Amino acid sequence: MQHAPAAELQTTTGMDHRKLLMWLFLGSECLFFGSLIATYLLYRNKTEEIGIGPIPSDLYDIPFTSVSSFVLLMSSVTMVLALAAIQRGDRRGTQAWLLATALLGMSFLAGQAFEFTEFYRQGLSLDTNLFGTTFYVLTGFHGAHVSIGVLILLSLFVMTLRGRLTPANSINVELIGLYWHFVDVVWIVIFTLIYLVQT
Amino acid sequence: MVDLALVVLSLTDWLENPAYVLGVPLVVLGVIGLLFVLAPAEITWSLPPGPAADAARARMDAAWAPTDIAAHEGHPSPSQYIAIGLILGVVTAAEVAVYYVDALEGALLGILMVLSAMKFILVAAWFMHLRFDNRLFSILFTSGVVLAVLLFIVVLSTLGASLA
Repeated sequence: MQHAPAAELQTTTGMDHRKLLMWLFLGSECLFFGSLIATYLLYRNKTEEIGIGPIPSDLYDIPFTSVSSFVLLMSSVTMVLALAAIQRGDRRGTQAWLLATALLGMSFLAGQAFEFTEFYRQGLSLDTNLFGTTFYVLTGFHGAHVSIGVLILLSLFVMTLRGRLTPANSINVELIGLYWHFVDVVWIVIFTLIYLVQT
Repeated sequence: MVDLALVVLSLTDWLENPAYVLGVPLVVLGVIGLLFVLAPAEITWSLPPGPAADAARARMDAAWAPTDIAAHEGHPSPSQYIAIGLILGVVTAAEVAVYYVDALEGALLGILMVLSAMKFILVAAWFMHLRFDNRLFSILFTSGVVLAVLLFIVVLSTLGASLA
């Protein structure tokens, strides 16, 4: 079933309710990640006081994480280009940019898997100290969000191949786009507060 | 002359690291995706030849006729999106550069917070279209951000921690 474009929808609020709900969800996600980041910052200092296991400055590889951050940032550009392509009726452009976004997301996840493995090899596990617990929980939840986004993007890509995603239901691309950009802005905050601002 | 034993040993060592086992296929997929983006060929779902396939193709072409939804909703053009992407890349590079300048150590926190906020606002306003969409969306999202910042302040100040 195809939906009408957002601008033509007649709803009680005059706007697309799916989009409204997505924004409400993203607003609640701010609190979810806000609490995880606050917990990390709180316990990171405690770990350094206690002195058990590695601390952030022992492990972080800033050049590597900078490249990962750049990859995720560029995936936001390809995502918005996918939306622009479907909104002007460019099928090939939509497919290309959706796939590019999913693959950039997968590259980011590969970087995160590499980082987690390296940290584990250097002695930081989930239960080594409070830094390990809060770091893995925070970045792990972010990685889970990216993974879900990648799966949805790949689904949208297959839908374009099968003719089930067309400009008439471009709202679907817009909604996953909002989710994807949110995952990106969360990483912007994580990269600054967790990696660059160290005690 | 390549020592075969050394090659086998290094391969075994390589397979023991899950980061490479997971990471390398993902990078290969990335290269495939790049080739797909750059290739002139168009990929469509294959249908057996015949009138049904022709009709499906005609329906597909009709569904993908050029539209102006983006212009109708007042969204930016692709070139504007790319320009913003470049700005985001430059700001990220500036963040990393500042991190390595010892002379800026005292002001590091302030500079990083400003640069990070710039990136956050650029993505939210332009890529998420908050600048162009209904104000209610901005209110919902900003409420979440403000509450998260308040949570930060309350937790860190109450429990005696700080960013610096």
